Amino acid sequence: MGSLVQILVNGILLGSMYGIAAIGLSLIFGTMRIIFLAQGTMIVFFAYLTYWSFEKAGIDPYLSLFTVIPLAFVVGLGLFYLLFRKAAALEDKNVSLLLAVGLMYLIDNLILKIWGATPRGVNLSYSGAVLVIGDIRVPWLRFALLGLALASALVVYLFLKRTRVGTAVRAASEDMEATTLQGINSVWVCAISFAIGIALAGVAGVGMATVYSFDYQFGFIFAIKALVALALGGIGNVFGALAGGLLLGIIENLAAYYIGIAWIEVASYGVFMLVLIFLPQGLFGRRGLVKKV
Amino acid sequence: MLEVKELSVAYGDVRALWDVSLEVEEGSIVALVGANGAGKTTLLKAISGLLRPTSGRIVFEGEDLAQLNTKHRVDRGIVMVPEGRRLFQTLTVLENLRLGAYLPKARAVYDDSLERVFTLFPVLKDRMNGKAGLMSGGEQQMLAIGRAVMARPRLVMIDEASLGLSPILTRTIFDLIVALNQQDTTVLLVEQNIHMALKICNKAYVMKTGHMVLSGTGEELLANEDVRKAYVGERGSRL
Ligand SMILES: Nc1ncnc2c1ncn2[C@@H]1O[C@H](COP(=O)(O)OP(=O)(O)OP(=O)(O)O)[C@@H](O)[C@H]1O
Ligand SMILES: [Mg+2]
Repeated sequence: MGSLVQILVNGILLGSMYGIAAIGLSLIFGTMRIIFLAQGTMIVFFAYLTYWSFEKAGIDPYLSLFTVIPLAFVVGLGLFYLLFRKAAALEDKNVSLLLAVGLMYLIDNLILKIWGATPRGVNLSYSGAVLVIGDIRVPWLRFALLGLALASALVVYLFLKRTRVGTAVRAASEDMEATTLQGINSVWVCAISFAIGIALAGVAGVGMATVYSFDYQFGFIFAIKALVALALGGIGNVFGALAGGLLLGIIENLAAYYIGIAWIEVASYGVFMLVLIFLPQGLFGRRGLVKKV
Repeated sequence: MLEVKELSVAYGDVRALWDVSLEVEEGSIVALVGANGAGKTTLLKAISGLLRPTSGRIVFEGEDLAQLNTKHRVDRGIVMVPEGRRLFQTLTVLENLRLGAYLPKARAVYDDSLERVFTLFPVLKDRMNGKAGLMSGGEQQMLAIGRAVMARPRLVMIDEASLGLSPILTRTIFDLIVALNQQDTTVLLVEQNIHMALKICNKAYVMKTGHMVLSGTGEELLANEDVRKAYVGERGSRL
């Protein structure tokens, strides 16, 4: 029994990362209608920045959240206006999708060039600290990831529900032309939601730096995991995306424990296929990755 | 107030409007009628800046709109109620109205506008916190017009307000459009319900396959043999 709870707890903590990434994907998909495949690479990139500022300047990763989040937001705005502004206005979304793929490989290789191929990770003085409840053991750092994920989801939720721009983002996710007709600058709305998506990649990057070891190829896998989480959670629902991430983490941990470590990937992609076929709306979303016909 | 001069619009290589001209006087109701595919929606979209004309001019209160995007046109007071309502279905009624008053000028008088809308459409007040998509067709049309009112339009362009509504609801909507007009809003009305549209308008235009073919007062067009035969029909209303 204890071990099952331990598995669930581990799964939830692993899934926190997927959840943060999936919320970002969901926001970007909402307005730009593309699966932003470079999300994972952006996460890895910010993980490297976190690692780098830790190695060079000894800045604690959790402290670097305060620089990484605004930086990521600005990077997001820049990327949008440089790369996606024109493509986002096109009816044909393949251009945006290909740009995302191009960006992914570009940044992968940039990381390879700057930091090399050796996997990196941050070794914190407190990374061994473990929270013990009965016979459940949770490293504090992983526990903090769940906190990050919940905080991210809450902030994005409040932004979407309580602010004017957030309401415009929700409107634009539904009907871009009608949003424009309200006198709303829909390019700006796309830019904002894209930038928040990248800011979330910044949050996930910091989280990744504290518990994973990562290399330049890790991004794509992570983007796909976030996509699986999003398919599970459904689009158009922040907490759905988070829950999708947590669920995926649990599924992976269950698979690892009961079938074997080697089956983790098979299990998560199997679930991906099953969800797309049988539950295209996701478990909690109003809308799935696939449009209902 | 609004002058459209020899406007041509194309979708890619396919031309949809050919040298279309139209004039709307301040304070009036102008009806724009014509068969399906005549180009009425295209004309409204060009006026609101969603489509770029290939040639011709649109002048609003003496200002050429060529360089202004939709946002600036809304700010000048040109507001469109699109065909099919295009409400934000998953947003609440109030959120839809709030988005109508998005620009600073409109936001500054938000409370006053909201009261105006609730006076015109009391049902929206009762449904304030419900999802827009869950309302009936008539209520949704009221919300679509209400959302436009929130923007404090000087000219409101309404595309097919009566589409899919019962005759009684259509009446209600027309009465509200007249009421709106009496509160100093100029109206450009695209309608399939030609009989009613011609009755309430000061001036009307008839379009056919991308051309402006006829114009006159409502009575003139109602009396016009061609218009009667082509558009008004036996039972006096629908195409
Ligand atoms: N997005 C588009 N792409 C290409 N052609 C279009 C597009 N929208 C409209 N058209 C064409 O332009 C012409 C005018 O269409 P428009 O929608 O303006 O007509 P309408 O008078 O509003 O018709 P309806 O009464 O059916 O609403 C039609 O021939 C139509 O097929
Ligand atoms: Mg039309």
